[in-house]
Amino acid sequence: MKRKLAVLAFFLFTSIFLLAACSDKGKDSEVETKTEGETTTGTEEEKVEEKDPVELMMYSWRPEDREAYEKFIKEFENENPGITVTFKPYKSTEYGTILTNALTAGQGPDIIQLRPYDGATSIIDADFVIPLDDIEGINDISDEYLTAARGSDGKVYGVPLSLNAGIIFYNKDVFEEHGFDLPTTWDELLKVGEEMKAKDIVPIAQAGKAAYLLSLTHSVIGATSYDQSYIDDLLSGNEDLTDKRFVESVKRMEQLEGLFPKDFIALDDKDTQAMFYTGQAAMYINGSYRLETFENTAPDLNIGILPSFANEEGGETPLVTWVDGSYAVVKASKHQEEAKKFMEFMASKEFGQMFSDDLARISAVPGVEPKHELVKEMTELGEKNPTPYLMLVYLGGGSPTTKTTFENALQGMYIKELTVDGVIDESQKSMDKWFEPVN
Amino acid sequence: MYGTPPADFSLKRRGGETLVLKEQVADVKASPKPSKNKRSIKRHFLHLFLLPALIFYVGFQVYPILTAFVNSFYSFKGMVRQDFIGLENFVRLFTEEPYNTIFTRAFWHNIIYFIGTVVAKLVLAFALALLINSKIKGREFFKAVFFMPKLLSVIVVGFLFSLILNPTNGALNSFLKMVGLAEWAHPWLGDPKTALYTIILVNSWYGIGFAILIFLAGLQAIPEEIYEAAKIDGSYGLKMLFQITIPMAMPSIMIMTILTFIGSFETFELVFAMQGSSGGPYYSTDVLALFFYRLAFGSVDGGDAIGLGSALAVVLFLIICTATAISLFFFKRKEIEQ
Repeated sequence: MKRKLAVLAFFLFTSIFLLAACSDKGKDSEVETKTEGETTTGTEEEKVEEKDPVELMMYSWRPEDREAYEKFIKEFENENPGITVTFKPYKSTEYGTILTNALTAGQGPDIIQLRPYDGATSIIDADFVIPLDDIEGINDISDEYLTAARGSDGKVYGVPLSLNAGIIFYNKDVFEEHGFDLPTTWDELLKVGEEMKAKDIVPIAQAGKAAYLLSLTHSVIGATSYDQSYIDDLLSGNEDLTDKRFVESVKRMEQLEGLFPKDFIALDDKDTQAMFYTGQAAMYINGSYRLETFENTAPDLNIGILPSFANEEGGETPLVTWVDGSYAVVKASKHQEEAKKFMEFMASKEFGQMFSDDLARISAVPGVEPKHELVKEMTELGEKNPTPYLMLVYLGGGSPTTKTTFENALQGMYIKELTVDGVIDESQKSMDKWFEPVN
Repeated sequence: MYGTPPADFSLKRRGGETLVLKEQVADVKASPKPSKNKRSIKRHFLHLFLLPALIFYVGFQVYPILTAFVNSFYSFKGMVRQDFIGLENFVRLFTEEPYNTIFTRAFWHNIIYFIGTVVAKLVLAFALALLINSKIKGREFFKAVFFMPKLLSVIVVGFLFSLILNPTNGALNSFLKMVGLAEWAHPWLGDPKTALYTIILVNSWYGIGFAILIFLAGLQAIPEEIYEAAKIDGSYGLKMLFQITIPMAMPSIMIMTILTFIGSFETFELVFAMQGSSGGPYYSTDVLALFFYRLAFGSVDGGDAIGLGSALAVVLFLIICTATAISLFFFKRKEIEQ
């Protein structure tokens, strides 16, 4: 027994010493690389190790863009030997949690993708990223984009990549085949919608399982119920969500239920995309980024775009826009300078052009000319008559946010748990808790 | 402690050398017993070997629980801990809109989830265990078949059933239409009246194999003599079930009930995989663990409520602990009475 214990004890202590020895070695080598220029007894090999390429880890919520990003990164690596970048995307819905954990733990990514507006501010104000005001090219980007990546101190912390737009996509073939007139006003939409239903065509392929899709559709439908003057009144505190212009936008959403697919509240976005591809549905409302999805999934799809439905013949049809995420450099990164170089690359016209061409998106970099016809059309519409995505840009505060409260309440309206007034009431209560009017 | 080896006990070593323990055993017997102090040192020394497991347990279980307790008494700005605010997070959770409404709604959903699982899973599992225990043909096959879903990940199960229950092209509604029951086709997960019960049924399908195994072990532990004695006394059928089988299988029934309670209040993955983090549509499948996830890691949507989230985690911990302790107390008392 004694002998056994002695053997076991010996084994245990040897293991502990071995482990300790390993960790000490690790620390020493870390110190050696940190104290550059100091006289060390290290061999030539160790010195070569110091010149090893810097590896940057980049987190994103766009797994679908992996291929394109890897191409962009290759360009950067060719121009900047000695720096390698690894693009590590996570599922959009899990990204926030993963990022929170990585940042709190103080290790992981060097470059991160920031959500726009309030989503960025909470990370910036928690001091997890560094200001980028001094990097080349950032000041050429329009202030409208930079606003989405500013901290409470007014400094810019992220390089914005793209402007998103809320788009009504329509299947040209379905319209031609059945002889439907393209609706341009709200009344025309209701009229042609009934004609479509009579021919067993779903007028609008709307999914409702993920509530955010409902608020996105609301922003497009509501863009002509309320205008910029209402947004100004709301922001200055002169009006709130009970204003008739906003109430009208929710009423329109209620009216649209008849044009959505049966049981749409249980449908995923992918289900409704399939309806649109296969010609079962005539229209589909989502972000401009879906264009890339269509290109990959159904390249032969003959689609057209509409910005919104006017109130009357010849009326205004603004395009709902918002800035997509931006990329930022993590404060805890050991390679901030190299990461900044990558940020400068992202702010360059060369990157902007590749981004627009390969991902069919509207680039934030000025001077980029989109090759894709529809992207070109979106850019022009956005320049001519833009309007902000009200819920995302201005009502993304609170916990849960007013945007989340609103879109969940819309779900409640469709399952008959809430009325239009109930939706307004819940959203207003949420807003009252945090919103401060801008003077 | 180690038993006495037989007198001719010997161990053949690899080299062919035979180690005879007989003499050594005699030596040990003859030698004076080690002092109390020495034995105590030896015992404490053995505890050292538990250290690696203990380090992992403390690091991954105890430390996060304690951190949640501490965080629940602090305010947070974004992800950064701010000031000590006492019980304010708990007060807000129970009194402030919309937290109190969401909490109450989610709590009742957890209760429904527990009752539904007991009815759908445990009752059925007990009936199946009785059948399997009655020595029917192919009992091993049925045991394996019922246990099979448990081999899948919960997320995979959630994803598969989301596809099966899809209202437009899901297998279930397509099957109903095919067999002429089109009017039964239903948006199972899109209707607040059916969504939660559908998830309960999926969860029951997933976990029934484990419950059957536990019940079967309980049933097999009942001595045959008791059944024979009961038969002599004229007990048959349902009378035998309620007077002999169920009371004798009570330990396994209690264990499964407690485990189901804990599982019901911890349920997250399946609801998340099937209905998203909001427990849609319009919170009709929201449960406390989902509410905690949204509060603490709200990601895009205001993930600044880590303090509130920690308070909810503490409340959840207390609910589970209290209910389990009460059940165990009554269970033990009943066991003693028996």
